[in-house]
Amino acid sequence: MAALRQEDLLRLAERTSDLALKKGATEAEAYVFQDLSTYVSIERGQISKTSRTFDRGLGCRAIVNKSLGFCYTNALENEDAVEETVLKALDFARANRPDDNWRGLPDEKPFPSVKDTYDSRIENLPVENLVETASVMLDAAEKKDKRAFPIEGEVRASYLSSALANSNRVSVDDRGTMIECSLATIGHDADEVTPVCFEFNLERTYDIDAAAVGEEAARLAVSALKAKKTETKETTVILTQFALQQLLSYTFISAISADRVQRDQSFFRGRVGEKVASEIVTVHDDGLLPGGIRTWKSDGEGVPQQKTLIIEKGVLRGFIYDNYAARKEGRESTGNGARASYLSTPSVDVTNLHFQAGSKSAEALIREVGEGLLVNSVQGAHTSNPASGEFSVVATPAWNIKNGEIAYPVKGAMLTGDVFHLLANVSGLANNERKIAQVVAPWVRVENVKVIGK
Amino acid sequence: MKDVLAKIIDTAVETFRAEYVEVRAQKLYKTAITVKETRVEAAKQGIENGAALRVLVKGAWGFASVGTLDAQALSGAVSDACRMAKAASARRRLPVKLAQTEAVEDKIVSKPKKDPAKIPVENKMSLLLSVNNTALQEDNRVKSVTANYLDLTGTSYFINNEHTYIEQDKLYVFLGVSATAKENNVFTFSNEAVGSTSGYEVFDAETPTKMGKTVARRATTQLKAKPPRGGTFPVVLAPNVVGTLVHEAFGHLAEADLTLAGSVLSDKLEKKVASNVVTFYDDGTINGAFGSFKYDDEGVQAQKTLLVKDGVLVGLMHSRETAQQLSADPTGNARAEDFHFEPIVRMRNTFIEARDYTFEELIEDVKFGYYLKSFRGGEANLDGTFQVGIQEAYEIVRGEVGEPVRNASISGNTLETLFKIDAVGKEFELWPGLCGKGQSACVGDGGAHTRVKEVMVGGSA
Repeated sequence: MAALRQEDLLRLAERTSDLALKKGATEAEAYVFQDLSTYVSIERGQISKTSRTFDRGLGCRAIVNKSLGFCYTNALENEDAVEETVLKALDFARANRPDDNWRGLPDEKPFPSVKDTYDSRIENLPVENLVETASVMLDAAEKKDKRAFPIEGEVRASYLSSALANSNRVSVDDRGTMIECSLATIGHDADEVTPVCFEFNLERTYDIDAAAVGEEAARLAVSALKAKKTETKETTVILTQFALQQLLSYTFISAISADRVQRDQSFFRGRVGEKVASEIVTVHDDGLLPGGIRTWKSDGEGVPQQKTLIIEKGVLRGFIYDNYAARKEGRESTGNGARASYLSTPSVDVTNLHFQAGSKSAEALIREVGEGLLVNSVQGAHTSNPASGEFSVVATPAWNIKNGEIAYPVKGAMLTGDVFHLLANVSGLANNERKIAQVVAPWVRVENVKVIGK
Repeated sequence: MKDVLAKIIDTAVETFRAEYVEVRAQKLYKTAITVKETRVEAAKQGIENGAALRVLVKGAWGFASVGTLDAQALSGAVSDACRMAKAASARRRLPVKLAQTEAVEDKIVSKPKKDPAKIPVENKMSLLLSVNNTALQEDNRVKSVTANYLDLTGTSYFINNEHTYIEQDKLYVFLGVSATAKENNVFTFSNEAVGSTSGYEVFDAETPTKMGKTVARRATTQLKAKPPRGGTFPVVLAPNVVGTLVHEAFGHLAEADLTLAGSVLSDKLEKKVASNVVTFYDDGTINGAFGSFKYDDEGVQAQKTLLVKDGVLVGLMHSRETAQQLSADPTGNARAEDFHFEPIVRMRNTFIEARDYTFEELIEDVKFGYYLKSFRGGEANLDGTFQVGIQEAYEIVRGEVGEPVRNASISGNTLETLFKIDAVGKEFELWPGLCGKGQSACVGDGGAHTRVKEVMVGGSA
């Protein structure tokens, strides 16, 4: 099976949206999505497997008198299945109850151009190249240190494309590529085993450094050996991008999502214009970031993606909206109607949440700390309270900082608090920005974090 | 279906000299409904047809997944998988081998009292609206309620080149409800879930009223709750929490792929890993439980697997590959979420076996500690570091359950903590859960109330 061409995707979306109207919808939208991925897996120190997955399908939103129905299918080659999907979406709309807050599907708007999101070299990459990349990464890890064991890893190339059409004449298609290599390692020496250490490199264009990933994954694991327990205290913590992304995902990102604000589930409700973070904190949601992991010209419901100011020098400036949440307030969507695949309806989510970097080097950020912790990753962030932003997690791995230098690894340290105090206590930002999933950020230094130890 | 799939098997064996080949073809129907407060945000239905093809060629795996059951496309996919395997084998040092299993021909038909596929969507929407209305009306400090319903029905067809052919119906019903409450700038959050592989009749026992009241009460109780003290304390874990602890702190480490990767259990077989009162099982055979099934995704029959007996590690959970590597028998733990994924070692229903304490006996000797009643999630690490987040907890003061505490979590190291379990209760419960390991699996976690002499509690007070 080959991927459908862009014009075929778009025609299918338009035809499906039209069909829904013809069958009785007041408004309709069709979204077609395909994902063709090839990946090489590493398990327990060896390349174990190569895979190719092809997933594609179509989702149809049909609205009948302000009442919404949705149905999807992956049987695109079958005209009857597509028609059945449309009819079922209509059935579901009729079974549903009208929503008085429904103010229509998005209208037609010009789309921006985006940079560095598609690379034909990735789309056409032979599987042998991926196997070679995986070998380079593994070899680099092994060469770095024998005490580091690569437990699992992957090299993956993906081609993603989509098309969307609705009854308000929105008609848009987009395509993009991603290439990623990742390696998880543990350090072991005598009786000791470290927590899992992880490094990766994901780009939209064919520009990844597999050797650097392998080497860093091994370095991390070895540097986590000979860990000691820590005391219970309030201390300075430097969060790397991994730890920051984990903590923000289940707290801050919920709090700036307009639907949650509207439903009184956000600590930020009613606080636009107030100081909510340290004045060195400026945050955007940037759907147009060149090469961003979530950079596309259109969001999942045909609204142009954009750059939206969230926090400016510590002051809360706004929230992110999808079309529904925006129109409920008489606003315009910020292009944050996210869609995971053809089988989901749009919902509010960040694109690239961009924490503005500082000017200090990572070393300088550490050098200013008399006593503290450097936290690479945390465990249990998903058990945070999304409404209050409170978290209670374990730092794995982490290192003690003493007199401006990394002293030794620390095990079993719990961090507790809430993300809003965390933001208010930010005392420094490094200049080492990188992208981790939906977050783009530097290392962030935070004062007065409660650490629980032995 | 069998004829189409058998041809694919032949292609792989004859054209590509595959040592092993399997095809999992699936026809799946899903209904998902999300209701936020009294608004049905999305009522969705979907059809997914597809196949997963896995082959061993020259000792390496090749895998392909396609969203179609078209014979020609499947034939193309199996060729793809074989070529993929060859590419991987170029860098493979030790060839993959599989433990022997018996060939099986079987057909498993699910017989729900109430087939979710036949319940009109209007009824499902009403059920969810009723949950949300109950929660909202229970207390006006409840600000929001989200109910997520999912049912999945369909059939899986499994065939391999070792003469196994299984047709197996799939049936899952799941309802997750979460609520938030707010008072004087205190925000609380709670959730509750019901899951079954029997049928829609699960809601006859777990009624919308019961669920709505539970989440509302859990969210509002926390409004007056204090943060826990941070430090090391004795705790009593309810079945819901101890199940998560067993799953996270022990279970993942006993998944043989992770044991082989170097988890802290890797050299502990036949050795003491817990106190004498600890017996753990992973059981795929409990009727209707969320983690139960007849055959796993390698065609191996599910069983009740003893993992720890009276504190001694006696077994691990296996796929055919890990069983071969450790000279053990496959245990029926190889599971794939659906045809988009390959089977990997996963848990089923994992629990601590009940013993003889009453709840009162468990708490009566605790001077100060915590009663942890309901979990919010958990996460494990290969070095044995675990974290379990708690959504409902109370102080235990001088042998009695005291005031509520909120946003607690517990953490520790598996091998230290399991030795500190000193008493297990007699009432057994199993709770549904969704476990993530690169793909999602429906599981059950549980056991009886369990006392741990000391564990680290994360709290801000």
